[in-house]
Amino acid sequence: MEDQNKKKILSLRWTAIIVTSYLIIFGKGKIAHIDLGHLFILVYILSNLLLIFIPQKWFSNLKFFYSLVLIDTGIVSLGMFLSEKVTTDFYLVFFFILIFASMSRNYKLLMIISGVTASLYGILLYSWGLLNSEQGISYIIRIPFIFIMAAFYGYIVQTFSKEKQRQLAISEDKYRGLFENANDGIIILRNSPLQIADVNREVERLTGCEREKLLQKDAMDLFAMSDREKALSFFEEVINKGEGRTDTLSLIRKDGESFEVDLSIKRIDLEDESFFQVIFRDLTEQRKLEKKIRESKRNLEAIFDGIRDQLSIQAPDYRILRVNMAVIGKYHTTFQELIARKCYEAYHQKTLPCEKCPVTMTIETKQPSSSIMKIPEDDSTLRVFSYPILDEKGNLSSVIEYTHDITEEQRLHEQLIQSEKLAGIGILASGIAHEINNPLSGIIGMAETSLEEEDISTIRSYLTDILNCGQRISEIVKGLRSYSRIAKQEEQNLIDMNDVLEESLKMVRLAVKTGEVEVAKNFQPIDKVVANLGEIQQVFTNLITNAFQATDGKGGILTLSTRSLRDSVEVKVSDNGMGIPQKYLSHIFDPFFTTKKTGEGTGLGLNIVYRIVTKYGGTIDVKSKEGLGTTFTLRFPTRRDEA
Amino acid sequence: MNKKVLVIDDEETIRKFIKIQLGKAGYEVKEAADGEQGMVQLKRDRFDVLICDIMMPKKSGWEVLREVRSNPETSEIPVIFLTAKNEDDDMFKGYEQGVTYYITKPFTKSQLLFGLNTIFDKKKNSLY
Repeated sequence: MEDQNKKKILSLRWTAIIVTSYLIIFGKGKIAHIDLGHLFILVYILSNLLLIFIPQKWFSNLKFFYSLVLIDTGIVSLGMFLSEKVTTDFYLVFFFILIFASMSRNYKLLMIISGVTASLYGILLYSWGLLNSEQGISYIIRIPFIFIMAAFYGYIVQTFSKEKQRQLAISEDKYRGLFENANDGIIILRNSPLQIADVNREVERLTGCEREKLLQKDAMDLFAMSDREKALSFFEEVINKGEGRTDTLSLIRKDGESFEVDLSIKRIDLEDESFFQVIFRDLTEQRKLEKKIRESKRNLEAIFDGIRDQLSIQAPDYRILRVNMAVIGKYHTTFQELIARKCYEAYHQKTLPCEKCPVTMTIETKQPSSSIMKIPEDDSTLRVFSYPILDEKGNLSSVIEYTHDITEEQRLHEQLIQSEKLAGIGILASGIAHEINNPLSGIIGMAETSLEEEDISTIRSYLTDILNCGQRISEIVKGLRSYSRIAKQEEQNLIDMNDVLEESLKMVRLAVKTGEVEVAKNFQPIDKVVANLGEIQQVFTNLITNAFQATDGKGGILTLSTRSLRDSVEVKVSDNGMGIPQKYLSHIFDPFFTTKKTGEGTGLGLNIVYRIVTKYGGTIDVKSKEGLGTTFTLRFPTRRDEA
Repeated sequence: MNKKVLVIDDEETIRKFIKIQLGKAGYEVKEAADGEQGMVQLKRDRFDVLICDIMMPKKSGWEVLREVRSNPETSEIPVIFLTAKNEDDDMFKGYEQGVTYYITKPFTKSQLLFGLNTIFDKKKNSLY
């Protein structure tokens, strides 16, 4: 750009020199004039040759450029005058006008100068006697013409220049606004010494100092005492490198409090002076935020580590991303040793994912999963839960593996089952004692009485009593054998409850007098249940027998219904018989509890039903109203827990 | 005059045995097959002693005992409990609530008569 300026000026001047030289050399002037003209040409050419050696950057200096143009205008005008080729001096006058107009920044001065020039021109014309000549009028007119034209051009130039200034002011306002309203503090510093040249409002706000006071300060006064040395070395570095940025520096407020800022500096070189533009951002809010984030992170970590169960987070390729302290403690290892290893390698020394691992399930389904895992290495039992963590797109980003050690729970549970069994045996034993002792009392008592008796027919009747009692004891013992059968692990099959109900109904009808009882069946297609056929038959025959007996034959209705629930099947055995009195309802499943007459029931039937149903994880529920009937509702799970 | 005994037990053979043996010993014996029937008899008649089973349908021995003791007319009647359980806890509970004597099933003629004699000897003593 600067290079082009110089070339343009030089070539224009060469053209002007050639034209002027032509006018002078081939003009009609006298010898003396020609000598002066030759001298003029020489000077003009020399001046242009001299320009070649002037550094390029001068040409971009407007003052230099304008004065050059002004001088050239004068030179060319003078050259033309000297050539006398152009007989009138009017062009010279015109050049004057242009010169004045270009100086029109001060319009009043322009008026004065053009007035004076016009007068001087008038005096010159007068002294040359031209005003009194034949063309006097045309010369006189030139005097106001100079003035008016100068004023006219001056006005036009000034108008343009004013418009330009106005636009400059608008643009300056705009940039000032951007500067003042910036969210960052901006300070303009003069170089050597580092004095504050300008600040924006954010600087005033942050430091609490007014602009005027700030402008009197040294740049170093802005920094907190502790950071001045650091700031100084930073400025030195910027002076050498042109720009720079620090992480943080502390500035000081009017009240002496310091605050942290993120500060960057750039050196700006203008033609005559270089400045430093210092931009800083208040970090107070950011620091607060960072502190909050740190705190909440610490809190979350504390919670994460505070959980005594093991938490391990794995990527979908089983690589461990994070673990809590419980994991570190359990495996006597460090975070570094676990991280990025596959969980099955790190935790179980395996080469493939563990069987039945819920994490695998979650990776495949993106759904939570859980399972109970036996760990043979340390004979522990773990309940492992896995939960998916999804990203915004719904893809699996990681899996939380939550491990709860239930070894102890499991042991207690087993103990409980054992002690419940023992308690059951205890109740049973005391029940047996009662049930057997009654007929046994009869046997012993009647035997004793028989021994005292002489009459054979009386003895015979006593012996009948003894026989009855003995048979009852035998019945009880038979009933007890069912218990040992429940306890045994017998063959289990997938069985259809509907079929078993039908079978059981047939069996009961063969064994018990069912009279005129109507049987209503409402069987729905149901899932099969894994169980021992004999046991389920025993359950249904007991309930159906009871139902028949409850209806007492007259107008009785027995209803058998089945249906499928979400993960179980439901069987209802319902009758419209005499019902069970409210006060007995809580005892009907107790062993040896019976409302039947002595000898008709052992009181073991419903207890056996209860034991069998609960053995399969099922439930049994009874609803009864005296005089209206009884409904037994049984539910068997179709999918039994692996545990 | 013969002493009157009420036997309440759901076991027919036991009632029969007691009736024969106490009849031979000079008691007048009445029977009831359960607690409810027993209470009906108690209201209708005056008895010198009550022999009562604990576990019975309709009304248990405990309920009979409570009703007998709470009625001023019958509150002084000695009550012998026939128990098939033979458990200490049961016995203590029984004595606290006013059982006079316990006989554990199965029992013999002499155990039964010994129990009755104990009760009536005590009563005799208390008269002096």
